[in-house]
Amino acid sequence: MAESTEYEMLTLLPNEIHGWKAHGKAKIYDRETIYDYMDGAGEIYLTYGYKGLIVKRYAKASGPEIIVEIFDMGSPEDAFGIFSHGQGRETKSAEIGQDSEYKGGLLCFWKNKFFICIRGERETPQVKKAVLALGRLISKAIEAKGEKPELLKYLPEDELLEKDLRYFHKHEILNYHYFVADKNILHLDEYSKAVLALYKDDKSYLLLVQYQNIELANAALESFMKVYMPDAGQKGVIQTENRKWTAATLHQNFLIIVFDALDKAEASSKIEVVRKRLR
Amino acid sequence: MKNKIITRRDFLRGSVATTLAVTMGLSLEIKAEAEVKKKTKVVLIRDADIIDRKGHINPKVIQRMLDKAVTALVGKEDPVKAWKYLVKPHDIVGIKSNVWGPLPTPTEVESTLKRRSIDAGVPEGNIGIDDRGVLKNRIFLNSTALINVRPFRTHHWSGVGGCIKNYIMFASWPPLYHPDSCSDLGAVWKLPIVKDKTRLNVLVMLNPLFHGIGVHHFDSTYTWSYKGILVGTDPVALDAVGLKIFELKRRAYFGEDIPLKPSAKHIAIADIKHKLGTSDLKEIELLKLGWMEEVLI
Repeated sequence: MAESTEYEMLTLLPNEIHGWKAHGKAKIYDRETIYDYMDGAGEIYLTYGYKGLIVKRYAKASGPEIIVEIFDMGSPEDAFGIFSHGQGRETKSAEIGQDSEYKGGLLCFWKNKFFICIRGERETPQVKKAVLALGRLISKAIEAKGEKPELLKYLPEDELLEKDLRYFHKHEILNYHYFVADKNILHLDEYSKAVLALYKDDKSYLLLVQYQNIELANAALESFMKVYMPDAGQKGVIQTENRKWTAATLHQNFLIIVFDALDKAEASSKIEVVRKRLR
Repeated sequence: MKNKIITRRDFLRGSVATTLAVTMGLSLEIKAEAEVKKKTKVVLIRDADIIDRKGHINPKVIQRMLDKAVTALVGKEDPVKAWKYLVKPHDIVGIKSNVWGPLPTPTEVESTLKRRSIDAGVPEGNIGIDDRGVLKNRIFLNSTALINVRPFRTHHWSGVGGCIKNYIMFASWPPLYHPDSCSDLGAVWKLPIVKDKTRLNVLVMLNPLFHGIGVHHFDSTYTWSYKGILVGTDPVALDAVGLKIFELKRRAYFGEDIPLKPSAKHIAIADIKHKLGTSDLKEIELLKLGWMEEVLI
């Protein structure tokens, strides 16, 4: 992590909040050392543009410890992405940062290129108050807001479940939220940008992927058709074994797939909305 | 056929077990051999009094539970004799614990396992308890026997964290085992520092975490006072039984089958590919002791 960013992150941290005092030196982890802090969880951050993490602890004689984690995700898109990966713990926003969730002593929010988690080792009313106050202070210290990924603009909004929206790059995250195949048949990598949306009306999923160029998008569609729906022929739409419909198509360097639509028309209609917006 | 890709549609068809077997290059002869082998014993013990009203664990009850479970497992009436069967006075014993903040191995369980190892004749100085420091711990580096103990919980990257996963800290570069939802965790058990050393696995299910969302994952909403402990010599069998209990708990809680995210495929793969133990519940003899209310399985 660059020294200037490290300094910027350290300045976001207050010395004291509601009687909890910062203690010990802030610990810093980069892409190489993140496993020293969180082992397997590090993989999630590394699938995004994670640059570094600062961990600071706050202690109070009569209360549980509070731990602050500030992740530099490299871009607002990826700060939103890692937030979206874990969202859905709570239906209401904690109204901190650009979006947030608080539950069970853990506050997570994102603002600009930062993803922040603040947790009390045990939840008490005092801990909750302090955690939320810390969050507000840190959020205020991050002056600028960041833009959400542009891909989101192309999704049909009707019946979209906001809390089930996921933005990511790699197939491990896609499979986490919607298992497609054990191999990377959509050729997702750190350069691809993908959004997965769930719709309330028919419980269908829409996957929209932006590849770096048309050739890569073509190859991904070809691979998907060959492995996932070889029985669809050239139609690009098939009724799968659960009697629902899967449809896939390309628009320039964008791949659009609808999974589990209740009928063929619904699958085609969702795809058409995306195509129109991409034009 | 060896490189067959498993897709969602294989699951929908119900053909994934066959697909998995074919992917692993298994022949039907191997399966037939598995069918005649002796069943693996797993002991589930529960006690309604293990946790008091303030949420504290009663050390005496833990001792009683582990004694009953181990004697039932080994088939000896006296706990110390049972422990003498598991560890010898000349052994150097590493108790591989788990320190994960929200749900660590209870110290009461660690202490009981240490106490019984001492009772079996192992000098206290030859017993160590550790998790993340095992590769720098003199006892673990020289160990001749291991006791594997941790709480069972869902895990954001491997589906569940159980007995098999608990040995990841023996790997000098744990990320090596992270790909494909940690599917090859079973391979860790072949590392020289652990291979064939494990005498006992203890999967703590006093207040297990049966569901989680996001990287931080822990949410006390999704823990429940199951007040149980699984004990056995086969880590795969313990994880498989634990997984079944989670499946039943999740069905009861959510009112429908909500699959784990991601699936805990490393358990079946530890069996089929790495031959570490038995994941097929039909091949496991589950001995249930103690409190039976809402035992689920």
